[in-house]
Amino acid sequence: MKQREVVIGHRLGIHARAAARLVQLSSQYQSTIVLFRSDSANTIEADARSILSILLLSAGFGSKVNVRAEGVDEDEAVEAISEYLTG
Amino acid sequence: MREERIIHGVVASVGTAVGKAVRTFDPLFVSFNFKLRPDQVRKEVERFRGSVEKSREQLKRMQSELRKNSGPESSFLIDAHLLVLQDRLFVDRIIEKVETDCINSEWAIQQVSDELFQAYDRLNDEYLRERRGDLDDIVRRLLHNLQSKPLPSFKKLPYDAILVGKLVPPSTLFELRSQRIVGLATETGSPLSHTAIMARSLEIPAIVGASELAEVASGDVLIVDGERGIVIWSPSDETVAQYKNRDRDGKKLKKKPATSVSAPSITEDSVQISLGANINFSEEVRAAAAQGCEFIGLYRTEFDFFREGKQPDEESLVADYSLVLKSAKGSPVTFRTIDVGIDQKSWDGVNMNLGVRGLRFCLENTDIFKKQLRSLYRASVHGPTRILLPFVSSVDDLDAAHAVIEEARRELQARRHRYDPNVPIGVMIETPAAAQTCDLMASLVDFFCLGTNDLIQYYLVVDRSDQSVVHLYNPFHPAILRCLQQVYTLLRPTGKPVTVCGEMAADPPSAAVLLGLGFTSLSVSLAAYSRIKRMIRSVSMSQLKDLAGEIMKMHKPKEVEEMVRAAVYRT
Repeated sequence: MKQREVVIGHRLGIHARAAARLVQLSSQYQSTIVLFRSDSANTIEADARSILSILLLSAGFGSKVNVRAEGVDEDEAVEAISEYLTG
Repeated sequence: MREERIIHGVVASVGTAVGKAVRTFDPLFVSFNFKLRPDQVRKEVERFRGSVEKSREQLKRMQSELRKNSGPESSFLIDAHLLVLQDRLFVDRIIEKVETDCINSEWAIQQVSDELFQAYDRLNDEYLRERRGDLDDIVRRLLHNLQSKPLPSFKKLPYDAILVGKLVPPSTLFELRSQRIVGLATETGSPLSHTAIMARSLEIPAIVGASELAEVASGDVLIVDGERGIVIWSPSDETVAQYKNRDRDGKKLKKKPATSVSAPSITEDSVQISLGANINFSEEVRAAAAQGCEFIGLYRTEFDFFREGKQPDEESLVADYSLVLKSAKGSPVTFRTIDVGIDQKSWDGVNMNLGVRGLRFCLENTDIFKKQLRSLYRASVHGPTRILLPFVSSVDDLDAAHAVIEEARRELQARRHRYDPNVPIGVMIETPAAAQTCDLMASLVDFFCLGTNDLIQYYLVVDRSDQSVVHLYNPFHPAILRCLQQVYTLLRPTGKPVTVCGEMAADPPSAAVLLGLGFTSLSVSLAAYSRIKRMIRSVSMSQLKDLAGEIMKMHKPKEVEEMVRAAVYRT
C-alpha cells in the first residue's frame, strides 16, 4: 500500500471537467485508488474511478487530500494522481 | 390584457430574442414500483444494462456532433455524463439494489439517485451543487430509455419559441437546437450550469435564476434580453416593436451593401472604422474569431474569474488567459480587470452602484488584483494583450493601480517568468469624473475605453435595473452628447486611442452618433457585430459629421433620436 498527502493546487481539481480527467487517469492503473479528505467532523472517502464520489469529496482549492493506492502499480499510480492534483 | 412586466434574472448567454414561451415541464418520474420474483431478476438487470448502453450511444452521438460544430468547450460535459454511466457508485449500486431487494430498475434508479441528490444538496459549494443538474439529466435519459419511449421531442414549431422551465437540462437544449428555439429562460440555475455553457456554445440568448418565471404559461409572449439580464413578460406592442426594430433595421441595412465576414468596416466615403467584439466568457472568443472580429475590445474577466464559485489559482488563470489569446489568433485582446464589489456576486450584473466597485475593489483586495495581473502578464507571451482598468475616478486611483502593477511585474521578474513588458495599460471612462479629467490621465496610460452604459447611468442618474426610471435612460440626451463631445475634444490632442464599448455602440442610430462625433473605434457584443458592420458600410462619414453638428444644437432627446434614425435608415 502506498499513500501520500497532497494539497489540491488545481482550481479544477474536483470540478466536473477535471474530475472527469481524474477518472480517466485513474482508470489507466490496475491498483485500487482511494482519496480521503478529513474535515473537523469526519473523514470522507472517494473512489478515484467514480466521478460522483470525487465530486462529492468536495475538495476545494488548497484542501488536503490523502491519495492511497494498493496493487501492482501503486507507486506509479500515487505518483501520477498526486502530480495531477497538485496542479 | 396583461400589463408588461420585467422579470430580473442573471445573464447566462448574451443577445436578445422575442418569442412565445414554450414550457418544458420537469419530467415526473412516476413509474411503477414493483417487487420481482427471484427468477425475474437476471432479466431485469439486463433490461437496465440495455438502457445504460442505449444512453451511452445517444451521448456519444451527441458528443461527436458537438465536437464538429462547437468545439471542445461543451463536449467535455458529455464526457462527465458518460463517466456517470460507468460509475460504480451509480450503476453498480442500482444493479445491487435490483438484485438484493428484487425491485424493478426504475425504482432502484430513483432510490440511488435520491441518495445522491441529497448528498449534493448538502454540499457547501454552489458550483458543485450545480452538478446535480447533470445527474438529473442522466436519470431522465435512463428512465426514458428503460421505457423504450423516445425522449419527448418537439415538432418544428410554427413560431419562434423561448424555452421556459424550472431547469432545462443541457441535453434538452442541445436536442432542440434546430427547432426555432430562439431563447432560453429558467427559474433556477446559474451561469455556471452546463445548460448555460451549452446556450453560449449554441449562441442562444439565455437568462437564468429568474424565479418569477414560474407564473409564465406556454404561449405568453416573452422577450429575453441577454444584454440587460431581464425577461420581459407580455411586452407592450411598443416594446416588441423596439426589439424587433433592431432586427428589422438591421435587415434593412443588410439589403444595401453585401456584408461578409471578410468585408472591411469602412464607410461609403472610405473612412476605416475599427470594429471589435465584447465578450463575457472565454468560450465566445472562438465565435468572435469566426465572425472576423478585428480585436476583442472588451473581455469582462469577472464572469470567468468567479466561474468555479471560488477563487482560481494563478496557474489555471494563466492557462485560461493563454487559451483566450491563442483562440484570438493574433488579434489583440483587451482584458478588463475584475469589476465587482466584494459582496456582489460577479454574475449578478452590476447595478447602479456608488460603492466599492471595479478598481476600488481591486485596490482594496490587492492580493486578488496582483494575482490577476501576474496571470495576464504571464499569458501575454501568447498574443497581443491589453489591460484595462475599470471604474477609475481620479489620477490618484491610477497612481495606486500603477504601483500594484509595478509590484506584480517585480514579483514575476523575481520568479523569472517571461512576460511582455510592453503590455498597454488603459483606463475605462465610465464615471463622470473620468469623463471630465481623461486628459489629465492621458500621460499615465496607453489607451482609453469609453463605457457608455455606466456613464449614461451616472450622468442621468438612472438605474437601468429600476423599472420606474428605465425610460429615462437615453443615449440621445443632450447631456450625453455634450459629454461625449467633451471627451473627444479632451483626448484628441493627447493622441491616445479610444474605443467605445458600451451598448451605445451596439445600436445603429446611437453608434452613428458616435462616428459623427469623431469616434472611429467601436467594440460591440457578438450579437450586434454584423448589424453594426452593415451600418458602418452604409453611411458616409462626412454626412454623419454634419448630422452631429445639427443634433448638438437640439434641445430634446426625442428630436435627436428621430433625426438620427431618419438619417441612418434613410429609406
